[in-house]
Amino acid sequence: MSIAGISPLLLRAGLRYQLRHRWQALLAMTGIVLGVAVVLAVDLANGAARASFALSSEQLRGAATHRVLGTGGQVPQSLYRSLFTTPGHPPLAPVILDRVRVAGQPGRLRLVGLDIFAEGAFRAALSDTIAGQRSLADWLSQPDALTLSQSAADLLGVQTGDPLTLQYRGHSHTLKVFAIHPDRSLGSRDLLVVDIATAQAITGLDDAISHIDLILDDAALAWFDGRLPASLRLVSIAQQTRGVERMSAAFELNLTAMSLLALLVGLFLIFNAMSLAIVQRRNLLGRLRALGVEAAELSRLVLGEALVLGLVGTLIGIALGVWLGQALTGIVAATVSELYYDVTADAMQPDWASLAKATLLGVGGTLFASWLPARQAARTPPLTTLSRAALEQATRAQVAPLALLGGSTTLLGLGAAFNAPGGLVSGFAGLFILLLGAALLTPLALHIAHLLLKGIARTGVWRLATRDLDRHLSRLSTATAALMVALAASVGVAVMVESMRGAVSDWLGQLLSADLYVAAQGFEDGATLPAPVVEQAAHLPLVSAVSRYRNRRLQLPDGPVQLVAADLAARSRAGLGLLSAADSEPWGMYERGGILVSEPLAHRLGLRAGDTLRLPTPAGQTSFEIAAVFRDYASEHGRVFMPLTAYRRYWEDMRINTLALFSDSPDRQALLDAVRSRLSADHDLVFTAARDIYAESMAIFDRTFRITQVLRYLSLLVAFIGVLSALMALQLERRKEYAVLRALGMTRYQLARLVALQSVLLGLLAALLAIPTGLALAWVLTDAIQLRAFGWSMALQITAAPLLHTLILGLVAALLASLYPAWRAGWHDPAPQLRED
Amino acid sequence: MLRGFLIALAVASLGALGGCDDAPPGRPPDPPGVRVDQRMGTTPDPGFERAIQPRAFEFPRDHGAHPGFATEWWYFTGNLQSDNGARFGYQLTLFRIGLKPGPPARDSAWRATQMYMGHLAISDIGARRHHTAERFSRAAAGLAGAESTPLRVWLGPWSIRGAGSGLFPLHISAQTDEIAIDLSLAQGAKPLVVQGEHGLSRKAAAAGNASYYYSYTRLPTSGEIRIGDRRRRVAGNSWFDREWSSSALAADQAGWDWFALQLDDGRDLMIYRMRGKDGRAQAFSSGVLVGTDGAVQTLAVDDFRLVQTRTWRNADGVDYPVGWRVTVARLGLDLDVEAAFDAQEMRHAVHYWEGAVAVSGSHTGVGYLEASGYAR
Repeated sequence: MSIAGISPLLLRAGLRYQLRHRWQALLAMTGIVLGVAVVLAVDLANGAARASFALSSEQLRGAATHRVLGTGGQVPQSLYRSLFTTPGHPPLAPVILDRVRVAGQPGRLRLVGLDIFAEGAFRAALSDTIAGQRSLADWLSQPDALTLSQSAADLLGVQTGDPLTLQYRGHSHTLKVFAIHPDRSLGSRDLLVVDIATAQAITGLDDAISHIDLILDDAALAWFDGRLPASLRLVSIAQQTRGVERMSAAFELNLTAMSLLALLVGLFLIFNAMSLAIVQRRNLLGRLRALGVEAAELSRLVLGEALVLGLVGTLIGIALGVWLGQALTGIVAATVSELYYDVTADAMQPDWASLAKATLLGVGGTLFASWLPARQAARTPPLTTLSRAALEQATRAQVAPLALLGGSTTLLGLGAAFNAPGGLVSGFAGLFILLLGAALLTPLALHIAHLLLKGIARTGVWRLATRDLDRHLSRLSTATAALMVALAASVGVAVMVESMRGAVSDWLGQLLSADLYVAAQGFEDGATLPAPVVEQAAHLPLVSAVSRYRNRRLQLPDGPVQLVAADLAARSRAGLGLLSAADSEPWGMYERGGILVSEPLAHRLGLRAGDTLRLPTPAGQTSFEIAAVFRDYASEHGRVFMPLTAYRRYWEDMRINTLALFSDSPDRQALLDAVRSRLSADHDLVFTAARDIYAESMAIFDRTFRITQVLRYLSLLVAFIGVLSALMALQLERRKEYAVLRALGMTRYQLARLVALQSVLLGLLAALLAIPTGLALAWVLTDAIQLRAFGWSMALQITAAPLLHTLILGLVAALLASLYPAWRAGWHDPAPQLRED
Repeated sequence: MLRGFLIALAVASLGALGGCDDAPPGRPPDPPGVRVDQRMGTTPDPGFERAIQPRAFEFPRDHGAHPGFATEWWYFTGNLQSDNGARFGYQLTLFRIGLKPGPPARDSAWRATQMYMGHLAISDIGARRHHTAERFSRAAAGLAGAESTPLRVWLGPWSIRGAGSGLFPLHISAQTDEIAIDLSLAQGAKPLVVQGEHGLSRKAAAAGNASYYYSYTRLPTSGEIRIGDRRRRVAGNSWFDREWSSSALAADQAGWDWFALQLDDGRDLMIYRMRGKDGRAQAFSSGVLVGTDGAVQTLAVDDFRLVQTRTWRNADGVDYPVGWRVTVARLGLDLDVEAAFDAQEMRHAVHYWEGAVAVSGSHTGVGYLEASGYAR
């Protein structure tokens, strides 16, 4: 496939052809440019989010290799003391880590409490900050001392000596900037370092720390055998980081797949352009064969042309992709932060691996897409006398076998998406196979459309326009397939997002059954309600029932889950959509200590109602019986509902995060007033109505799908270029034919109408074909991909809007694409065209 | 007397904590070192108590910590022999350092106004190897601290433990990956020696530039030491110094040279010389001779003569005096004091020379020498 195998003369001739048909080449190249740009941009944005996470965890990890973690995110400090006072202990460092807010700053910052005496072996940079500038005595004894990096100081606009007010779970703490470390890296931008005593006072961790950092080799690892109580775990930090990164893997893969969809559309355009170029030059190629050019050389010629197009397109695509990546990085980082873990990336560095990957995909994809046209070129007989009619005849003969192939490919794709093992990757593989199959069915669809239209349109321009469908099948079918693929991708994603939005909206409506929710100020960060509030709640006027919730994170071997210990009122129970239950009385089982697991968790761990699930409790690993599986879109990592009584038995924790109040009175305002007047006097509380939570949740949903929407618009743009390029190429190619028609007496208006009509007809056809294909894609995305990626199922919900958009897009693009050829066909002097050849 | 006090003060005046810069590759560094700048003369916070009047020691209470004072230490040195005759010196010191006067805020069990520093050294005299270690902790959350009855002073796993209210046998234990000591110290024949003027030991002209100081000069010792993987049963004599103060060196003082010699005839000689920046002995230098029965004779600066006979230059080009002639004409002592081997420098937060010495001349014996204020 090297250019070296082609004579320079031949390659010059080939490139000369592309130059003469520069519109065609340019538009095909645009497909590659946009495809490569989108793929690269998504790759870079994903990479930036990952790098930001890696950097910030590295910043914190220092030299630590392992970590002792507790079940509820806490390690008793007595354990640290007992390790620290045991002869032979490896290097240890106690850490308190939590999130705080700073007034006026979006997002949260990491508050890290460290013991400077333990730090030397771990995080020299942090201890240098204190060492170099201020006395140890001040650092340890001033309860408001705080250090940060230069990058954090710049972000917060503070200098040494300035006060800084932190918000933690509804309480304010004013600290003072004690020293600033000259570190300007992004990874330390959200890091606030205080003495461990200060961190403990702020976070209210009584007699506990967050974790213990360790530097362990194999011998030291063995030293730990039997020294940790059952409720604590020793993990390698690499393993822990991978666990966190895995949380967002499905999300990143989804983005990557969507970007690949855009590239696939781009490749269809190249395929279309190269096929057209072969058809147009069949006489030239035949003559070349007769002059002694070998078949393989012709094939290399086509690939050589494609390579040049692919290379130029890829290079421009990379430049555009880097620019686009910069724009996407902020959106991706915001979404990852909202859904998974905090990342601070707002800028990205193009890395060589991503650039190489994009180049390989762009150039390799172009060559792959040109492989069939190249083979077609090689099979051109010498000095062809094959007429256009004969060519079309041959093409028509292929319609049936292609359709057969397309049909079976489509089924194969569906089968792979729904049934193949291999998780998300085979889900997406199935999706792409399905799309290819649908493209192969396009010639048949065109043929059928022709047969149908032939019956309707019997006169004049109409007749000409419809008859062309069949007469030009060879070039029309690839063009239409390209448009169809582009439009179908857009339909599929749009319907999927709509379905998901509908499912989430229904689920929320059902779930948020209470009339009023009460939480403590700072509840987002885990603040709990004062005990008197919880006690009073049931006795408030107008309140007929109360649900109480206590949330906390549990670390399961394969990732974190949300534990919701809840005492549920009847209406709260009704709001939880149970998908399957162990027996006819799941709530009875729940009251006896059974648990409810969310659908994603059940899917991930292969659990069914009636099974048991082992959870880490302070008493060690404990098995719980699963009473039911409930529908849940709150967390892809899973949630577990446990009766409050069982939770309190194991955790000995009486705190409550949220109360849901139910009232028999229809007057919500009266309820709010009554509750507020009783509870608000002594406590800082937040009262929220169900509809406000609903609105806020849907806003979050829309924010997190912003990146999906952006990608959808990008693939729509590729689709639009696709329509434009395919149709324009087609019309330009037929300039001579139009010249003949003009010469035969057709008026320029008639001709322009013919051209526009044909374009619109094709655009319409592509759009009509894209709708069923897109719906099939949506079906796969919703029922197979979502389940594989996140573990939740939802019903496909089809609304008119995305389908209508597709039709309009197809038509508008087709019309726009016909403007220039129509003008050219009508207003250009036909004589030169006729003289050609 | 003053031994260690500069060290402790230096750490308190500015703790620069960082990792060991030169930890061997492939192995985690030792617990962090403290890098200290040269502000050795810094005066402790005036909120600390000063040693102004002589005091009547009360035991066992005074074996424990005196947090009202800025610095305090429990200082053990000794010369030991293994079963097969190999000779070793050791040092274990736990320093208490007051960072701020007064108790810490009560908002967290980690809040601290005091810290502990530990120095551990074994001199392998046959192999001429000096193994040392240092560690730190805040005096909080049970990580380090001191209790008087029974005596318990600890810094992580390094500890000094008394037996009930009677102190002896004392059990001292400290270890790193590389070395360990695990020793039992009996009282032997000699009682506690109250140093200075009824326990008040002056070190400069200004009132309050003094410490409270008592010693046990000869404690029969047995136990185990470990160097690398090799453990040895050892026996010999230890010297235990207790001192607390809130004082600083005077502006014209550079450091001191301190001798703790255990003579083979059963007598123990302690002499220190306060050294001025001019390199000469100052009037606050003094000493004691403890007889076989524990009887104490105090030596004033005019009673003894110290002459350097040899120096050893370390890698940084600092010269330490490692050979001395110690003469106490009044008592007929004319002693040659020589380092058991030269390279016994402590190179941690503060650099100083502290090592085993051999005594020859008019009398023979062993001992420990500390030479401070020579290096950075």
